[in-house]
Amino acid sequence: MSFKINKYDKNREYFKRAEKVIPSGVYGHLGPAEGCFIPVSAFPNFAEKAQGAYFWDVDGNRFIDYMCAYGPNVLGYADKDVNNAAFEQAKIADCTTAPSTKMIELAELLVDTVASADWAFFAKNGGDTTTLAIMTARAHTRRKKLIFVNGYYHGVAPWTQKLGYPGVLEEDVANNLYVDWNDIEALEKLMDENEGEIAAFIATPYMHGNFKDNELPAVGYWQKVRKLCDDKGIVLIVDDVRCGFRLDIAGSDHHYGFEADLICFCKALANGWSVSALCGKEELKGTVSGITYTGSYWLSAVPFAAAVACINKMKKLNLPEKLRKDGLMLTDGLRAAAANNGFNLIVSGEPALFYLRVDDKDGNLMLHQEWVAECVKRGIYFTNHHNHFMNAAMTEEDIKFTVEVAEEAFKVLRKNHPEL
Amino acid sequence: MVDQKTLAYINLYAVLGTLENLCELDPAASALLTNKKPIAIGFDVQGGPSATLTFKNGRCRLEQGIKSCDIKLPFSSCEKFNGLIDGTVTPIPTKGFTKIKFLLKDFTALTDLLNKYMRPDPADLYDDEFFKISTSLMFYTITVAISQIANNDKVGIFTANLIANGDIEMSIEGGPSATLRANGGRLVTLKCKPDNPRAVMSFASMKLARDLFDGNVNALECIGSGAISMKGLISMIDNLNRLLDRVAVYLA
Repeated sequence: MSFKINKYDKNREYFKRAEKVIPSGVYGHLGPAEGCFIPVSAFPNFAEKAQGAYFWDVDGNRFIDYMCAYGPNVLGYADKDVNNAAFEQAKIADCTTAPSTKMIELAELLVDTVASADWAFFAKNGGDTTTLAIMTARAHTRRKKLIFVNGYYHGVAPWTQKLGYPGVLEEDVANNLYVDWNDIEALEKLMDENEGEIAAFIATPYMHGNFKDNELPAVGYWQKVRKLCDDKGIVLIVDDVRCGFRLDIAGSDHHYGFEADLICFCKALANGWSVSALCGKEELKGTVSGITYTGSYWLSAVPFAAAVACINKMKKLNLPEKLRKDGLMLTDGLRAAAANNGFNLIVSGEPALFYLRVDDKDGNLMLHQEWVAECVKRGIYFTNHHNHFMNAAMTEEDIKFTVEVAEEAFKVLRKNHPEL
Repeated sequence: MVDQKTLAYINLYAVLGTLENLCELDPAASALLTNKKPIAIGFDVQGGPSATLTFKNGRCRLEQGIKSCDIKLPFSSCEKFNGLIDGTVTPIPTKGFTKIKFLLKDFTALTDLLNKYMRPDPADLYDDEFFKISTSLMFYTITVAISQIANNDKVGIFTANLIANGDIEMSIEGGPSATLRANGGRLVTLKCKPDNPRAVMSFASMKLARDLFDGNVNALECIGSGAISMKGLISMIDNLNRLLDRVAVYLA
């Protein structure tokens, strides 16, 4: 069958309006530059509505959305249970001078749910929590240096960026050290070379960096990291903003068999309602108490109510198992669709957050970008640079439809590249 | 902060190196060299770059190092050489006193012409041909400067180390192209289109390229409108843009 090719006339009209009053029209990861819209003509710019596994753009094109707003959509857009909890709380109180007791309810639920959590601190975005984690580690150890894994992303605060980025000072990143993922020897060497100076090692549960195949931890990697951190008095921070709850309701450190000192959550925490959480070990609770860190909306009750409902529903659904099963079904289908047309689709990372790459001899991603564009034009929202996200609203029919579209996109690729 | 050594590399390879393109693009430049004996000028900067500019048959060519030359211009420091470019230092040759006339007359006329295109009178840019030559010369200067920053500037070195090996294509539709070849954290610019780029950044028009070079528009801003298109290993372009940002520090 032949699928409809999307038209984006209204999207472009809105984008022209936006460009006049908003830097880059749409900035950040949802925009055409950081979002890697290649080519720009294949992608929509603005959503009109969203429900379950889909969103519709302003031209009325429907997309099966494998980016899930880059993670927050974990149960399905506009999930009734979560939204009703939020709406009910909104009738009572939200942003108030004294916080709602919903805050305690959510903290208790997190402490009971997340294996390594003895307490929870709330903010709005993932970056708020990674920054607090770093400040906590520095305050606790009275050390300056941080170890990052090459290819990392921990938000947009100056300390997370790199030398040479606009607006970032040399001093902002002067204490950042870098090591390759899964390289335990290099990590140990770096720690030895900077003995007594390293405050924290921060990493995601597995390497889900952009533009490259994702890498799971080697057997025993995290246990060795844990031991090194214990031996050297270094705070172990897990940035679980992206993976959190999708791999394991008890936290991704639990999934890989270790305990973080501090663990950062955001995206899947409240199914799109704005709240993030830093959870941690008892011995760091006092340190966090002493840090000046707050925000106007951080203690708002509505997102807390949404988060409570979201966590309870994720538990009820046994979400990680469903996402893994669906992710495997989808990626097996996509791989077969590629093979049917003489292509090799490489799938990496965890099935719940799969990363795709059409293999090409030049290693330049151009073939992959062409295939992704053909999928997006037909209503399957993939990206060409970033891991994807499964959500609980995705059905078997959605997955079958996706594979059919992917197959047609591979046929287009074959037609365009008879030389391959 | 401007690093004098990086600036010296830029001034020699990117700025004086653009004389190659000037002689190709402007008949007035090549006319200055026709019917004249070939001549080579060696620039030897202590603690910095060295290169030879050869003028032959109306054309100019820059090569790294000094093998043989007719006129040799030594500079005791990068600062002194940079002074030559901004007009505050007068060079004293150690070789080629009999050919000093070329240096004083023809070479000076060429660099004056280059300066006319590189720092144009706004009114001149209304002339289509002048605009095209001026923008093309800026393109070559900038693309070569990117590599010098990548290899010498402290921030540039950090950024270049994040670039995967391979060729990046920078091109202007209907205009010039260049290859930024990355290898082991070092960059080399070739003034031609790569056969097999790993990443491509293409400007839709000379006008857009000009606006970008003049700092009137931002590259990221232009991607959304399609005025700049990119494909391939975007992380290479991302880091290339960091280097492009630093060109303004040295060539503003």
